[in-house]
Amino acid sequence: MEYRFLSKKEIASFVTGLLKDFKVYGPVKKDGFSLYAEIASPKDLNLLHTPTHLSPKQYLFPPKETLLTFKNGENPAMEPVVEANNQVLFGVHPCDIHAIRLLDRVFSYGPSDVNYIKRREKTLIAGIDCIPDKYCFCKSVNTMNVDSGFDIFLHPLRGLNRKNNRTTNQLDNLDRQTFNWGHDMNAGFLVEIGTQRGKDLLHKYTKTRKATAKEIKKIAEFKDKKAELFAASINVEASSLPLIYSGSYNSPVWEKVGKICYGCGSCNNVCPTCYCFDVRDNIQANLTEGERYRVWDACLLEDFAKVAGGHNFRKTRAERLRHRFNRKFQYQVDKFGGLFCVGCGRCNRTCLVNINIVEVTNELIEESNKRS
Amino acid sequence: MSLSKNQINVPDIPSPYLSRLAKIERVSRLTEKERLFKIALEDKKPLGHAPGQFVMLCIPGYGEAPISISSPPDRNNMFEICVRAVGNLTNALHNLMKGDRLWIRGPYGKTFPIENLKHKDLLFIAGGIGLVPMRSLIKAVLAERPSYGRINLLYGVKNPEEILFKDELSQWQQGSNINTIITIDKPHPAWKGHTGVVTTLLPPLKIDETRTVAIVVGPPVMYKYVIMSLGDKRIAGHDIYLSLERRMKCGLGKCGHCQINSVYVCQEGPVFRLSDIRYLREAI
Repeated sequence: MEYRFLSKKEIASFVTGLLKDFKVYGPVKKDGFSLYAEIASPKDLNLLHTPTHLSPKQYLFPPKETLLTFKNGENPAMEPVVEANNQVLFGVHPCDIHAIRLLDRVFSYGPSDVNYIKRREKTLIAGIDCIPDKYCFCKSVNTMNVDSGFDIFLHPLRGLNRKNNRTTNQLDNLDRQTFNWGHDMNAGFLVEIGTQRGKDLLHKYTKTRKATAKEIKKIAEFKDKKAELFAASINVEASSLPLIYSGSYNSPVWEKVGKICYGCGSCNNVCPTCYCFDVRDNIQANLTEGERYRVWDACLLEDFAKVAGGHNFRKTRAERLRHRFNRKFQYQVDKFGGLFCVGCGRCNRTCLVNINIVEVTNELIEESNKRS
Repeated sequence: MSLSKNQINVPDIPSPYLSRLAKIERVSRLTEKERLFKIALEDKKPLGHAPGQFVMLCIPGYGEAPISISSPPDRNNMFEICVRAVGNLTNALHNLMKGDRLWIRGPYGKTFPIENLKHKDLLFIAGGIGLVPMRSLIKAVLAERPSYGRINLLYGVKNPEEILFKDELSQWQQGSNINTIITIDKPHPAWKGHTGVVTTLLPPLKIDETRTVAIVVGPPVMYKYVIMSLGDKRIAGHDIYLSLERRMKCGLGKCGHCQINSVYVCQEGPVFRLSDIRYLREAI
């Protein structure tokens, strides 16, 4: 593992350099919200971000993307469309890097999805370590740390010098300001090199020096402190979740949660590992030219599994909710390996009726313990 | 279409969403709602399908839908589909005529295991338009009729007007020695044959359960009852094949609409062996 020291001053010059050759997307604060956006200057970055509203998934698998254009008439034609820019995703949290690794598997499984794959090839990922807010539970699903899937990864050097001993359940967004890192970047970052491409870019745009052993030791200290900060956690080892979900298919919990669920699909939209989509056509008023595009779809929506004859294979909200939760903890695990929940907490932050995937999972665990 | 200036076409990996241009060679009206289309691929190459597979059929502007192939494998560039007009795309298809163009990609999905059927007695059970994909298999079987044992075809429809491939059914019965029994759901003044759901045909049927393979295709509601009746006939789950219908948007194992637990029907199906999915929740 190679680490380089990057000072506060140099990180600005690094980002400025990247902006010359790439579109750079990073965490920004807009109207009080933490979200990802294209940045024009290193000043736009808010590296002390809470998990963003949408994940950086949107730059690899856009909410809407053209797949092909077509022409009707005497000489009908169809042209594939692949939009791929050189781009950098800057400041990606470990959970979202894990999510991207899962999407890589999904879109290269079976017939390769050229639109995703080409965009992914042209994407550089600069990760950053973070501290949890009250919804984060990556520690419970083993995604708190990440060892690959990035080109470079920034470790905050001066970590978590908390001014007083707050308990973790008091932790909220405001409390994050009291953590002494990122916001005060005077101490700089240690950059973990993930790929040669990342190393080359670092070298091209900025000056770094070899990290000292003392500095490298601080990474582990930061991680240890981070691990103590979680307010939300799942009450079993992550590896036992597929079996617990499998045994909970007939649990009354689904009916109970299904009763309050709106079936709005917000959880699908914000999830960094949800990748279902709909394919639609747009035709111009002249009825000869048009495009076929895909848009994010949501398995919580009523028509998602309805066939032309009218039969709906998941008619109730309880069934659809159970399907989504099982995709995270059981179904996709069988297909692609790895839990498809990365513990980012976005669904819990977003749900209009406060359905919480951690609480539901813990309820299932409790029931399962009673059964055995 | 306005596309960003950064758009690039990538020739090295073909887009899996790209279709092949095709032309309608013939349209036959089978019933009030169903039409049979003979389609020719313009690149003159065969579709390359086997019984049980489907294509994604596309009419630009109306989108795509998964459609079962109804003809047996063929060395030329033609194939047949039989389509009921139920949605935007299928209604648009019904408005097309001989010579009109459309787009095809595929074939997709697992096929009926025709090699496993050789030298067996076959029991075909079709409900409604389930006969459409089954016809591809029946015709492939009839091309080598001596390689198979006794063949029964049980076919259930709502009313006599909905019977598909009437001429072929009687041809199969007389010319190819297929014992064909048709039943309609409820009594009808113009109908003198069997009435009742398709499962009512099973109890009196004489079959040798040790050498019978059942192939079942029909609407979702039919499977549960047919499977129970086949159990009464002591046919092993291992010897029962089904074709499951699901919503599909890509046919490539990505869009998620056809997912049953961890199974993507478009890739791992639509043809399944019952013993592989009997305990798969939400499958049947």
